[in-house]
Amino acid sequence: MSARRPSAFFLGGRHLSEAASLALLVPFALLLVVVFLLPLGTLLHESLLVPAPTLEHYERVFAQPVYLRVMWRTLRIAFYVTLVALLLGYPLAYVMSRSGGLKLGLMAAAVLLPLWTSVLVRTYAWMVLLQRNGLVNEGLTGLGFVDAPIRLLYTEGAVVLAMSHVLLPFMVLPVFSALKGIPDDYPRAAQMLGASGWSTFREVIWPLSLPGVVSGCLMVFLLALGFFITPALIGGPQQMMIATLVSQQVREMLNWPFAGALVGVLLAFVLALTIAFNRFIRLERFVGTRS
Amino acid sequence: MARNAVNSEGRVAVHDLVKRFGSVAAVDGVSLDVAAGEFVALLGPSGSGKTTILMAIAGFEYPTSGRVEIGGEDVTWAPANKRNLGMVFQRYTLFPHMSVAENIAFPLKMRGIGRVERERRALAALETVRLAGYGERRTNQLSGGQQQRIALARAIVYQPRVLLMDEPLSALDKNLREEMQLEIKHLQQQLGITVVFVTHDQTEAMTMADRVAVLDLGRLQQVGAPRDLYEAPATPFVAGFIGETNFLPGRAVAAAAAGETLAVDLDGGGRVAAVAVDRLAAGAALRLAVRPERVRLAPSAGGLGGTVVEAIYAGVATTLIAELGGERRVRARIAAGTGERNWSDGEAVDVSWRPEDARAFAAGAAG
Repeated sequence: MSARRPSAFFLGGRHLSEAASLALLVPFALLLVVVFLLPLGTLLHESLLVPAPTLEHYERVFAQPVYLRVMWRTLRIAFYVTLVALLLGYPLAYVMSRSGGLKLGLMAAAVLLPLWTSVLVRTYAWMVLLQRNGLVNEGLTGLGFVDAPIRLLYTEGAVVLAMSHVLLPFMVLPVFSALKGIPDDYPRAAQMLGASGWSTFREVIWPLSLPGVVSGCLMVFLLALGFFITPALIGGPQQMMIATLVSQQVREMLNWPFAGALVGVLLAFVLALTIAFNRFIRLERFVGTRS
Repeated sequence: MARNAVNSEGRVAVHDLVKRFGSVAAVDGVSLDVAAGEFVALLGPSGSGKTTILMAIAGFEYPTSGRVEIGGEDVTWAPANKRNLGMVFQRYTLFPHMSVAENIAFPLKMRGIGRVERERRALAALETVRLAGYGERRTNQLSGGQQQRIALARAIVYQPRVLLMDEPLSALDKNLREEMQLEIKHLQQQLGITVVFVTHDQTEAMTMADRVAVLDLGRLQQVGAPRDLYEAPATPFVAGFIGETNFLPGRAVAAAAAGETLAVDLDGGGRVAAVAVDRLAAGAALRLAVRPERVRLAPSAGGLGGTVVEAIYAGVATTLIAELGGERRVRARIAAGTGERNWSDGEAVDVSWRPEDARAFAAGAAG
């Protein structure tokens, strides 16, 4: 057996050779290009350049009140969903970050289990709960809070509720890891310096958890903007969101250029938001919260 | 910011403190009284209970039994934020989302002090720790030593009655640590503040503290001035933990009360004189403790005869290891410049010491 230098491909230790990292990235890059960038490019291409360069489809998005209303509703619902997920998710993440063992395991399972269940199943579950003769209405009438079943399904509130439930893990996980990353010494030091429990939270824990809050909010908001199944089933036609509109344009109207324009607008908005928030996070780290 | 005539406000006392975690007693009946303006170090190996005692004083641990008093007031069950103590932690605890000045002003803000006054006092505290002009810096732009100095400024800016320090220098390198030890000591004297300082480093404890409390396995071994601990250790543990000590087993020839000189028959042969620390009955088993620098060496003359097995030259001192037979080894230290002769391996040597330099502990004594 001759002693050989290890090939340059497999370097020992923590560092990858350039060639190795490139090779390991190829499958993902291929997937990204073939199933994401190419279709998206085609769609945008259709919306802008076919048959001749035009902004006509984009003008239509902004000129027609019905489309503006869909966009506005999409933004509003995504905002409410983010808010509800934050209000439900932060306290949960906070308790989780201060628990261990079985308690933490159970809470983590409660948060993650829905993620492992199909969105479709969860959405149907909400429909069963919220329909005219559903559990919620039966409970309300049975207890005498209302005389007749009230309309729950196909309302904006129902869409927000169901979407918040589906998207909650995406809020809880980043907030949890941000809270978990705050060393015990910080709240201890704050207390020692005279801060009450509430002041410790407001002045130390909350600001230090902000990066997690921002990424959780961003994640939930962006996912909510493009959400399809839940709003389509629970919201019905009256509560149409942009993804449903795109699907309608493609499948029913066969209007690919216009669908492309809708996707383009959504994409531009999402990119702008991501960049803005990234800047905010970096700024946050650099400047800190002013008292 | 010179201030603060020493008053009883800063007195710290723990009485019969016990803290159990499950069946393990981390602190097992410790009583300690720290006078106002005094600098006391809690010294011990890990698991000795020193940090638990500090946490009970700070209000982060509640004792299983016993009492904590600050300024004569029972604070055993008071929450940490109501005790008005200052504390510097082992790890850097400057809030990363605040500037240096905001960090220092934080405790003042918590006390409802106005912005202008906060800024004025934060600047004064910065000057006290010799970091004037650092107020606008981010905490991650500071070195470890600077961070601990800012933490110190933050802990004294509200003029607490007591300053607690939990191994604040352990993360710093040796030179900086020694510099900071003196700096903290001088600051403490200037402010007249009470300091309770936890450390596992005996040199640090002896350099800084007026009195050192030595702990082992949750029990207080001895409290005293550094010189007393070194020259008159009360237990074998203290003798072994502070500085270096030769231990030799033996038996008392005749009964002796504590403080009396007695004759000792060493196990393995030889009769020597020593001072009894504990009361010893005739024939009682004991452990003899002798500091290496108290051991005298002479060419073989029929006393405790042995052989030099190793001579270790280390500049300021040379350490000789002599074998006395029967697995017994004695270390002797010869300071440089004393004109002592050089010894070499294999040379016959006669080992002796003055009776007052050998301390006899009852063999059952703790440690």
